[in-house]
Amino acid sequence: MNKIVATAAALLIALGSIAIAQELRDLRGTPPDAPSVVNMSLQWEGREGRMVRNYRQQPPLIPHSITQYQIDLRTNQCLSCHDWTKAGERNAPTLSMTHYLDRDGTELDHIAGTRYFCNQCHVPQADTEPLVTNLFQPSSTD
Amino acid sequence: MTTSESRRTFLKASAAAATASAAGIPLAGGQANAQIGIPDISWDKAPCRFCGTGCTVLVGTKNGRVVATQGDPKAEVNRGLNCVKGYFLSKIMYGEDRLTQPMLRMRDGKYAKDGEFEPISWDDAFDIMAEKWKETLKNKGPEGVGMFGSGQWTVWEGYAASKLMKAGFRSNNIDPNARHCMASAVVGFMRTFGIDEPMGCYDDLEAADTFVLWGSNMAEMHPILWSRLTDTRLTKEGSEVHVLSTFEHRSFELADNGMVFNPQTDLAILNYIANHIIQTGAVNEEFLSKHVNITKTDTDIGFGLRDDNPLQEAAANPNSGKLTEISFDEYAESVKPYTLEYTAELSGVPAEKLEHLAKQYADPNRKVMSLWTMGFNQHTRGSWVNSLMYNVHLLTGKISEPGNSPFSLTGQPSACGTAREVGTFAHRLPADYVVTNPEHRAKAEKIWKVPAGTIPEKVGFHAVQQNRMLNDGVLNAYWVQCTNNMQAAPNMNQEGWPGYRNPDNFITVSDPYPTVTAMSADLILPTAMWVEKEGCYGNAERRTQMWRQQVHAPGDAKSDLWQLMEFSKRFTVEEAWGEDFVATAPEMAGKTLYEVLYNNGNVDKFPLSEIQPGHPNDDANHFGFYVQKGLFEEYAEFGRGHGHDLAPFERYHEERGLRWPVVDGKETLWRYREGSDPYVEAGSEVQFYGFPDKKAKIIFAPYEAPPEMPDEEYDLWFCTGRVLEHWHSGSMTRRVPELHRSFPLAVIYMHPEDAAARDLRHGQEIKVSTRRGEVTSRVSTKGRNKVPKGLIFMPWFDEGQLTNKLTLDATCPLSKQTDFKKCACKVERV
Amino acid sequence: MADSPEKRGWIGRVWNAIWTPAVAFSSGFLLLAGFLAGILFWGGFHWTLELTNTEEFCTSCHSMETNLGEYRETIHYNNHSGVRAICSDCHVPHEWNHKIQAKIMAVKDVYHELVGTISTTEKYEEHRLSMASAVWKKMKASDSRECRNCHNFDYMDFTIQEARAASEHQRAIDNNMTCIDCHQGIAHNLPPGYLERYQEVTETLAGTPQNSVQGQLADNGAEIRSYLTTQAE
Repeated sequence: MNKIVATAAALLIALGSIAIAQELRDLRGTPPDAPSVVNMSLQWEGREGRMVRNYRQQPPLIPHSITQYQIDLRTNQCLSCHDWTKAGERNAPTLSMTHYLDRDGTELDHIAGTRYFCNQCHVPQADTEPLVTNLFQPSSTD
Repeated sequence: MTTSESRRTFLKASAAAATASAAGIPLAGGQANAQIGIPDISWDKAPCRFCGTGCTVLVGTKNGRVVATQGDPKAEVNRGLNCVKGYFLSKIMYGEDRLTQPMLRMRDGKYAKDGEFEPISWDDAFDIMAEKWKETLKNKGPEGVGMFGSGQWTVWEGYAASKLMKAGFRSNNIDPNARHCMASAVVGFMRTFGIDEPMGCYDDLEAADTFVLWGSNMAEMHPILWSRLTDTRLTKEGSEVHVLSTFEHRSFELADNGMVFNPQTDLAILNYIANHIIQTGAVNEEFLSKHVNITKTDTDIGFGLRDDNPLQEAAANPNSGKLTEISFDEYAESVKPYTLEYTAELSGVPAEKLEHLAKQYADPNRKVMSLWTMGFNQHTRGSWVNSLMYNVHLLTGKISEPGNSPFSLTGQPSACGTAREVGTFAHRLPADYVVTNPEHRAKAEKIWKVPAGTIPEKVGFHAVQQNRMLNDGVLNAYWVQCTNNMQAAPNMNQEGWPGYRNPDNFITVSDPYPTVTAMSADLILPTAMWVEKEGCYGNAERRTQMWRQQVHAPGDAKSDLWQLMEFSKRFTVEEAWGEDFVATAPEMAGKTLYEVLYNNGNVDKFPLSEIQPGHPNDDANHFGFYVQKGLFEEYAEFGRGHGHDLAPFERYHEERGLRWPVVDGKETLWRYREGSDPYVEAGSEVQFYGFPDKKAKIIFAPYEAPPEMPDEEYDLWFCTGRVLEHWHSGSMTRRVPELHRSFPLAVIYMHPEDAAARDLRHGQEIKVSTRRGEVTSRVSTKGRNKVPKGLIFMPWFDEGQLTNKLTLDATCPLSKQTDFKKCACKVERV
Repeated sequence: MADSPEKRGWIGRVWNAIWTPAVAFSSGFLLLAGFLAGILFWGGFHWTLELTNTEEFCTSCHSMETNLGEYRETIHYNNHSGVRAICSDCHVPHEWNHKIQAKIMAVKDVYHELVGTISTTEKYEEHRLSMASAVWKKMKASDSRECRNCHNFDYMDFTIQEARAASEHQRAIDNNMTCIDCHQGIAHNLPPGYLERYQEVTETLAGTPQNSVQGQLADNGAEIRSYLTTQAE
């Protein structure tokens, strides 16, 4: 399936380079001076199950709801499952070991301050279709 | 073997070794087994495409495509870390709807303003475009043509554009989107220090004891700087974070002292702090007497609205930035009314919180870093409030040393590097020169090798004025590059949209994607982006960084630089300058603008052989010389020797950026401080050398109310801004599925009681309206932003909702930057 | 009728009236009247008691403003079906004896509101951990009784839950865990060191059996004293 998508994608790029008529459509769908169309709900955390990374360095996406979890000066509830001290017992993936290195590369036993706010890099996913197809191809598909 | 290839081999070997050792597999030297395979991704550095933080990423390419990106561990700014947007950079170029050929509105095979977009060749595109520009030049002169550019242009693109407009078309009608974002910060710098950009640098984030955020949500808008600040707060004993905003946002999560103030009262709070410093005897008198002049600014200066607006007509000193010298005692007297009680009452912030904040600035033993972004800059008194911030730091001498740092953050990757340093504004030239100064024009004309008198003295139309002039039919031929201004500019319904669609005007938009702006144009030019070209950006801490081209652009897409230079070939000097002016410089007769501006012996000085082997450089190969280097070196001449020194071109390809001024190969971390800044004379300790007397200015300005406040009909404050997951208008980030799914649509944040009073429930569809238009959206009474009663917040990234149909085009009268944070609105159920 | 009513005080007359067998009214009527009065009294008592259980009542105190703001962000305030748990659903037991006990204990909340124990953000934060751990202790001891008024493992449909939640709930059933073991901070923000403190709470409880009502009462008494001493300082 991935192969087919990839081939189709490659074909599209190839076609794009010859002058064929391109149908123009913005993400809005209606003319700029027309009223806005709000056709999506606020259900933003529907996608579940570990999601495959596009490339090794990509931060994993969050396959569960996080709205009820507190991350602030007082506490970081993500760590109550994902910290290395808890992950085994809570059956959760452990933080990447890079998260226990401070800015100078010193090894720490607790999460580095620079990595404290998880949601700067890790985000949950709404169960919704992309606005436009993205033709990015991971290096591992061929 | 090229550098990048040998680097690749090295990375390959080290990656394999690291993987093997982590897995506990003994690995014989040089032997790769089947599991490990042969790494075939080649990595090279590039600055991130998004915000002004200026992180460096490593871009992984394979078979001519970007296949991965990661934070660059060698980059001083981010040390291997990126935010979620940065981690997904690899996908921004691959939206299926990339534009690959020029598109013109046509009917029956001919251009028609009301026609449908049809593909045409580059030749035909430039033919019709040049025809329209020539027609306008003939009928209206240079004032009829204009360009809107970007803090996302590369340095040489901005420079080539500025040259094309100011020397080529002899028009100062060029302004960048940085006007919406940075202009008040610039005016603040110029008025207080006489020279643009921060004195400190990001190293202050590790050195300060107290951080104060003034109208900045760094947690979402500058995540990597926030991560450095967070690290300091969590690891440094006694450090504190203070956050001021008109609503509670993610940065409050780290706040020891979070303060929600009534809109516009930041002016009063800053004067209260100055008053507190004076009243408690915390003034650094020696510093003040040696290094600071004290002034006050003209008041009641209007709101940058159209001249016939009643509010504008009512102002006593419209647009006046006049400064009057005052004594210290007069200054002390001026801030005296801003007592703790008065300020607490006006701002709505509890007195003890304000006092706790003021003490941070007053305490000589605490190093304070103040950080601000759009809350200050997008403000009808933005230039004032920037200077009021410096007043506080100057009173205590807490400036230009590690940790004591008033720091203006930027929103775009090269707002500093391109828009400000290159000077792509209606009044500027490179390196802080201005068009109104005859000496500055003469210097520019000399470097550019164009006849004396080529650059016009008259300041061109600024961003907001350009839309008004399009609307009025004054500006007729208009080119927008590298920005989505239909979505970004204020008051779209009354100015932007009618301006673009005015039948008298011909609008060209260069963009990689069919944005709202592109769709509002008459001609769309498909554009190469980011690592599809060689580039240079300058970040918020004066760090200039370069990258090489990594991949080719799709189809017929071309870089902005290619487009500007190719277009210049279409004009002879006679057509652009007029016969009369050419007569004063007969040696130029018959030449094209391309020959005058880019084939001038500077720009075409460096041969193709100097290009880094192993990297494509489509622009250089097309023109037959190392065009990026030629433009950069010519541009660098402006700044060298007067405080804006840049290193030689090649150096930037080796470094993870350098902070200017770069003198004798060394970058400058803290300006104006002896020992750190080479421009400060020995024995003087501190010199604010932007002014001839080497002193900075305290500029007193009072609290003045904003132009539009909630009333009976429009009963809520309307505030706009951004979210972490999307960058600006979302034209790149919304095409990355993971980023789209993380914040799929703009919502209106509202207080639960305000929602209940309007019979609204979380998630319900609502209509927001102002005196200028209406937009439908969904209401959110919970989530990352907690707004106070009486205010709503709406992010503007979602082109489905076009937030700027609602905003008021009131600007700071001095900086001409729009106040996107304050106007009056109402909310109803749909 | 030895004494004339005039000679005696009104208390005596009422006393007399109560204890003199009825003449004018039938016993049936009196029985009914008594019954109705009882209902009225009981109803009034309950009505008042229930008034103190409403969200409006709970959040009307200054001290509770912080709580309200935090609670508004949570699923128990606002959710898809509008079935909600208000303050009393979690903090006031349904069973009569536990309820009355909780209401009596609530006197101390009134006291702390009056003296301003948690009247500022700083003071609130200072007490957050001790307040939270007091509640955890009750919940752990009662096997999360108030949670279980609505949430019951037996009626959970694991197919509708997030996969992660379903597997964790199975683990909780298998290990005989209780709701509060994982769900601290569902309606209030959490203070620093909350996990460690929760650990302490569970360890203390495991050490001292808390099954008897007396045990709980004694414990509550100690709690009141500890609050009052904190304030006295």
